[in-house]
Amino acid sequence: MSATIAAAAEPEAKLAANAPAPRPRPAHGARTRLSAFNWVVIALAAAYFLVPLIMTGIFSFWEGGNRYGFSAYIAMLSTPGFWTSLFLSVRLAIETIILSFALLVPAMIFVHLKAPKLKPLFEFISNLPFVIPAIALIDGLTTLYTGPSWLISTPNYLVIPYFFLALPYAYRSLEVGLTTLDVQTLTEAGQSLGAGWGEIIFYLLLPNLRTALIGAVLLILTTVIGEFTFASVLLFHTFAVFINDTGQNAITEAAALSLFAFLLTWLLMLGVLLTGRKNAATVGGAH
Amino acid sequence: MPNDKLLFGRRHYAKLGLAGLAGATVASLPGLRPARAAESMDALIAAAKKEGKLNVITLPRDWANYGALMDKFTAKYGIAIDDANPDGSSAQELQAVRSLKGQNRAPDALDIGPSFASIGVKQNLFSPYKVATWDSIPDGMKDPSGLWVADYFGVVSIASNTNVVKTAPRSWADLKKPAYKGMIALNGSPLGAGAAFAAVFAASLGNGGSYDDIAPGVHYFAELAKLGNLNPAAATGPALLVSGQAPIVINWDYLSLGYRDAAVGKATIEVVVPEGSQPYGSFYCQAIPADAPHPNAAKLWQEWLYSDEGQLLFLAGYAHPARYADLAKRNLIPADLAAKLPPAGPYSQVKFATQEQVAKAQKTLAELWPKLVHI
Amino acid sequence: MSQTGQTASSAPTTFGGASAPRSAGSGGFGALVGRAIPWFFVVLFLVFVLAFLIAPTLVLVVKTFTGDHGFTLSYLTGLWDYQYRIAFQNSIILGLASAFTGLIGGFFIAYTSLQPGAPAWLRSIITSFAAVAANFAGVPLAFAFISTLGSLGFVTIMLKHIGVDIYAMGFSLYSLTGMTVTFAYFQIPLMLIIITPAIQGLRLQWREASEGLGATSWQYWRLVGLPILTPSLLGGFLLLFGSAFSAYATPYALTDGNIALVTIDISNVLSGNVMSDPQVGAALSTGMILVMTVVLAIYSIVSRYSARWRR
Repeated sequence: MSATIAAAAEPEAKLAANAPAPRPRPAHGARTRLSAFNWVVIALAAAYFLVPLIMTGIFSFWEGGNRYGFSAYIAMLSTPGFWTSLFLSVRLAIETIILSFALLVPAMIFVHLKAPKLKPLFEFISNLPFVIPAIALIDGLTTLYTGPSWLISTPNYLVIPYFFLALPYAYRSLEVGLTTLDVQTLTEAGQSLGAGWGEIIFYLLLPNLRTALIGAVLLILTTVIGEFTFASVLLFHTFAVFINDTGQNAITEAAALSLFAFLLTWLLMLGVLLTGRKNAATVGGAH
Repeated sequence: MPNDKLLFGRRHYAKLGLAGLAGATVASLPGLRPARAAESMDALIAAAKKEGKLNVITLPRDWANYGALMDKFTAKYGIAIDDANPDGSSAQELQAVRSLKGQNRAPDALDIGPSFASIGVKQNLFSPYKVATWDSIPDGMKDPSGLWVADYFGVVSIASNTNVVKTAPRSWADLKKPAYKGMIALNGSPLGAGAAFAAVFAASLGNGGSYDDIAPGVHYFAELAKLGNLNPAAATGPALLVSGQAPIVINWDYLSLGYRDAAVGKATIEVVVPEGSQPYGSFYCQAIPADAPHPNAAKLWQEWLYSDEGQLLFLAGYAHPARYADLAKRNLIPADLAAKLPPAGPYSQVKFATQEQVAKAQKTLAELWPKLVHI
Repeated sequence: MSQTGQTASSAPTTFGGASAPRSAGSGGFGALVGRAIPWFFVVLFLVFVLAFLIAPTLVLVVKTFTGDHGFTLSYLTGLWDYQYRIAFQNSIILGLASAFTGLIGGFFIAYTSLQPGAPAWLRSIITSFAAVAANFAGVPLAFAFISTLGSLGFVTIMLKHIGVDIYAMGFSLYSLTGMTVTFAYFQIPLMLIIITPAIQGLRLQWREASEGLGATSWQYWRLVGLPILTPSLLGGFLLLFGSAFSAYATPYALTDGNIALVTIDISNVLSGNVMSDPQVGAALSTGMILVMTVVLAIYSIVSRYSARWRR
């Protein structure tokens, strides 16, 4: 497939010379700036996404009447539950990412390679977590599994429902990446060079799936940090639970917390992205 | 009394032994433990201190002054309290009892709505206990065998942010005025939130309904919605009221009064029990789960809540305690506290719906509300 | 491209010591392990799902059909009552509407940010923001929108100052429309994250080739771009629908039962403060499962049709 396209692209210059009408705008790949229309789209999107955040921010600085100040932020940072709950949520997020990658990535790669007939099953499974409400899943889980206590009584128990919560997003992200990448050809190439499964996965496939993997990491991270229902029903003090509890008494502190959580996670994401990417990817880049 | 022993033969002791064995067996069967009168306080305090911890659940710090009640309990007896899921519901409390059975994190004391107390009784989730002041609690507010007992009650009130709303509404008819367009909110959905359910019941009492008929209340809110006065946002905390986004909230009086005090400096909140209509009230119930990990701490917690000091702390949180009538009779309510409370009139007139009336109202509400109430 | 004289027996030590199945075996066991590794991981995943997702759900389904006197269909047929019918209707409409908004918005923003001329910082900001916004839901999101577009919200009041009363014109943040607007806050970013790898997979050469052959932009999209993207677009749409259909915290904060939704009904009967009905809750959950299964079936038919050019 790639050979024919490449052959088609080669004589482009010749074809362009014989083109029926001159093209008024530069070829797609030669554009170095976004058009005005593009910037309008971005501006509208920015307005939609930033205004509610700004409103939350304004409210977090409100101290009554027309006074504004930092008291909510100071109070927020000095509340004892703040740091413990934040660290707990981040730790759970990392554990969920590890579990998701260990279980999901090899299984999906092998389904793509060896058992494409199982793909509909995986699709179905990946959509199940939407279907089963959190309350019901907790009811079922706690009825079936009452031990061992080193798992059930610690917050690490949450990693299991969190894996499923993040599953649809992680699966979809990986699926798009695997579909776009020609896994079959790459693997065959690697095998014909004598590589084992480990080398194929770690040196061939995963580097080419970088965008999809980063997407999955981002989605899992933000899902876990933002998750509230499971943690509150199972009585664990995660960050989202802390924010909600604060909102019941200290309303400006709660707004400060939401904004802080948003900005902190955003910076984390930026960090992951900038360190995970070497060159900028564009439409039409290989990856 | 060593000499008395000689007066009884072996058969008598055998009978005593059997009785003791039987009693111990019965006492060890879950759910069949006989209710004891309150044990001597010292023994209870010592046993509770040995357990060292109390797990409570769904007790927000600013709900009926639970913050102060918990802090003073810890200060007095040195027993740490772990307050889990403060924003949780009664159903979640029962769920926690079921799902955390046998774990050290399971709840020791519950504060649940009366319909959930009935469910807990049916499912044998509680163990009975009668506090020392049991007899001064009105009959309609306790289970005869001690499985649950009401701790405080409140009535439905209208809270208004007078920085946004120039004149606070004082009656159900007032709420229909066009000046209040888009301003009136409830504490959640009446199908899921106790305060909102009570608001509909109260509206019914004020618009031609009765404890047996909640339909006029639903029609009232349908009309409010059609007029555009109803704001569907769920005012589950003080945020919407104090920020002015939903400046009129129909809620429990103890919650609204608490928000009023906490908002000093930010907003002026006025709290009114709707005038010209029968006030609707409801109570919450204390219960001790049968498998509580710290049962003695739980019993001590109940003794604390029902002591004069505890009941007055509830009152300081604007929640009228179960023993309110008893306290008033003995002139134990401080004058400055009485001054901060709303006028006593509506509270003396409050009546509670029975479980059957509540169940019937729930069914009617579940049918009519989705059909009739749309903004 | 092929290396001469390379046989499996001289293959370098590999991860786990297992060689790929194709090579002439350096030992029967090695080849067997190599063949088994793929299936091991697949089975491991399936077992995990079975134990922690399927089994608890079956508990739920069993409860749906268990009345006080044994097997009963009454709870399931009770879903046809008006109050639950309208809840399913609203939930489905909300799911479709917000999935469409997310699809259009997410695709356009993703495509814009992935243009060759787009600065790299823009792309990083958009992707990182999208990841966070995709999970910004619940009470904070509801409060943010109430203070922006609520009946006394900032934008509402500003528009009133310039003479535009959106509430008088029929808009309400608390209607299905308003909720769709609110849901877009996490639906658009979600679509963006999903579709970005697919758009990046559109080779630049294909665009250049089609332009070189004289195709207009519209023809490129109709004949090349969209057919390639359609499977991912469909998958994203499905994800968005599921996400909106099972949303709970955000709609609860925006409607006091004003709009019946399945998730809110479930929480009312399973974890509310007014009534408690575990079997109705189980029946509603089973109903949700049925709806999602139907949607999944439609999706798989449509996606098989749209991907047929690939085979």
